[in-house]
Amino acid sequence: MTLRTVPLPGVPGLGGVYARGAGAAARLAIARRAGRAPAGLPDVAYEVRGVEVDPTHLTDYQHLLGEPASDVLPAGFVHVLAFPVATALMARTDFPLSLLGLVHLSNVVTQRRAVRLSEVLDVRAWAQDLRPHRAGTQVDLVTEVSVAGELVWSGVSTYLAKGVSPAESGGDAREEFVAPVPTGQWRLAGDVGRRYAAVSGDRNPIHLSKVSAKALGFPRAIAHGMYTAARALADVGAARGEAFVWSVEFAKPVLLPGTVTVRVAADDEGFAFTGWDAKRTRPYLTGTVRPL
Amino acid sequence: MAASKTTTPAAAPRALVLGGNRIPFARAGGKYAHASNQDMLTAALDGLVARYGLQGERIGEVAAGAVLKHSRDFNLTRETVLGSALSAETPAYDLQQACATGLETVVSLSNKIRLGQIESAVAGGVDTTSDAPIAVSDRLRRALLDLSRARSVGQKIAAASKIRPKDLAPATPRTSEPRTGLSMGEHQALTTAQWGITREAQDEIAFASHQNLAAAWAEGFFDDLVTPYRGQSQDGNLRADTSLEKLATLKPTFGLGLDTPATMTAGNSTPLTDGASTVLLGNDAWATAHGLTPLAVVVDAEAAAVDFVHGVDGLLMAGAFAVPRLLERNGLTLADFDYVEIHEAFASTVLTTLAAWESETFGRERLGLDGAFGTVDRARLNVHGSSLAAGHPFAATGGRIVATISKELHRRRAAEGRPVRALVSICAAGGLGLTAILEAA
Repeated sequence: MTLRTVPLPGVPGLGGVYARGAGAAARLAIARRAGRAPAGLPDVAYEVRGVEVDPTHLTDYQHLLGEPASDVLPAGFVHVLAFPVATALMARTDFPLSLLGLVHLSNVVTQRRAVRLSEVLDVRAWAQDLRPHRAGTQVDLVTEVSVAGELVWSGVSTYLAKGVSPAESGGDAREEFVAPVPTGQWRLAGDVGRRYAAVSGDRNPIHLSKVSAKALGFPRAIAHGMYTAARALADVGAARGEAFVWSVEFAKPVLLPGTVTVRVAADDEGFAFTGWDAKRTRPYLTGTVRPL
Repeated sequence: MAASKTTTPAAAPRALVLGGNRIPFARAGGKYAHASNQDMLTAALDGLVARYGLQGERIGEVAAGAVLKHSRDFNLTRETVLGSALSAETPAYDLQQACATGLETVVSLSNKIRLGQIESAVAGGVDTTSDAPIAVSDRLRRALLDLSRARSVGQKIAAASKIRPKDLAPATPRTSEPRTGLSMGEHQALTTAQWGITREAQDEIAFASHQNLAAAWAEGFFDDLVTPYRGQSQDGNLRADTSLEKLATLKPTFGLGLDTPATMTAGNSTPLTDGASTVLLGNDAWATAHGLTPLAVVVDAEAAAVDFVHGVDGLLMAGAFAVPRLLERNGLTLADFDYVEIHEAFASTVLTTLAAWESETFGRERLGLDGAFGTVDRARLNVHGSSLAAGHPFAATGGRIVATISKELHRRRAAEGRPVRALVSICAAGGLGLTAILEAA
């Protein structure tokens, strides 16, 4: 499928995107009942050129995530800058899944070299690989960030739309979780969702308050998956180097306030991390950071 | 003629421990509940001045520190000197290396003496958990700073409007490691489990600590090392009548969430403590001029650090790495030491350190040796008790250990007339460890 490039004037604000996404969802539901839902992914790639970094925004992000406040952009901060372009794509009326209610399953970021505060970024995002999952349908959102034509960062974010056909069984039975020896714990306060929303712009109601989360089927607010993944990346620290692949799978949402017991440790190929609920011995997230 | 001037002294002076003085350590919330760090450090320093006749004396330099320090105490040691009986012309500086603070003041001042920069010094440390600083939250602090910088009414309203009611809650000092979120006890519980240290072995260390400290007090050993303060005349945490049976009844407090049985209790962990200590240092010429008897020589020191953040080693295991390097440099083995002082942050800290040294695998894989590093004769370990019995006012512990063991070294040397050595190892937050060799002067 050849993608048609659609330039956007700037990175969209996520508030407006969610509002459009809600509207698109309503239209999608009507279309689905009428048997006219889009079968494939939109054949467009969104592009935003000339993205500049606000130093205060960078500092706020670094302080919240426990990254050193250097002039190098943490890989998770580049995600925060670029991903709204992909989110805007998911809010299109011809996107086959409803933006609200999508579950972030996994994320893989490839950081090819250090990106610095002074660099001007070009962002390109598209959707690909719509496929079945045992609980519904999953899709990859690909985001690429370039500096003067050089690809410096790319991300693949996999999302699940629950219960949407094709509902063939994926058959990936989960292995029994065995808790490793912890190296630390994150005590996440009740306002962590609001604080990450402030630096990421992702004000999805499921992260903001008990009331807004309940309206969407969660007992309490949940932490942003990328907040927890970025905490793990910060825990790896400078040992990750400047070029690496940072992969994470999200198993269960972290209810706020809450405690995540973690192990972040070197393995044969780089670093591996696990965050889990020590009381119930259930994983929240697992991932790796591998040098490129 | 300028060319004939020499810039290097012919022989480097020795750095000598000439004495020490501390106030009895008190349990948090006890007799020193309303005493500040400066109050306690001044009491310990003035006791030292009185004991060694240093009134009005200009000391080369005084260095001390506190682990929990209020921002108003930016010049804690100098302010203490100004409030003491020492000459107001005595320079001073603050130093902070978590629980290694006190020992590091001894080491760095000794180095200045050995370099000939100073002839005399006072090292020290103090901590209070009763009078701990309480700060405002980061968000309130930032808003207040923005408010103070705001010029127009509009800017002031904008800055003030950022303050939320929950920002007004005070921020008390954190007892957990900033990078892992785990308390020191939880970290040590992981190390305890890793090395398979039993509850019984830990209680035996705690019991010996109380027995040894009680015996030292009973024989009057501390009479010329401690100045009573605020009605406290002996270490408040000391339980001379404790027994292994009593220690065995205490409920575990750390490691409750681990797969292995929890073994660390309030009895085999140090309690929160208030207190201060000082150590008098000098070279031979200064000691002679002041009629003071050298007790011990500060021979050498080595610091180490471990990557506990990624679980490579336990938080409090740095001493296990520092000591082999220190002894290698000085051509010594564990058998060359008559005394081994391992700070009892927890009984299991002592035991995991000893276990690492006795482990063939650790020796080969982590220390790069042919086999195990060595064994410490338990009869030489913490012979006058240590932090489990005395308590542990973080920065004051180094001074307590150095003054105590220096006196013992001198006594032993006088009795036996042969070289007598002590090894000191102190673990600290942040995966730090500081170790030193002292030899009877």
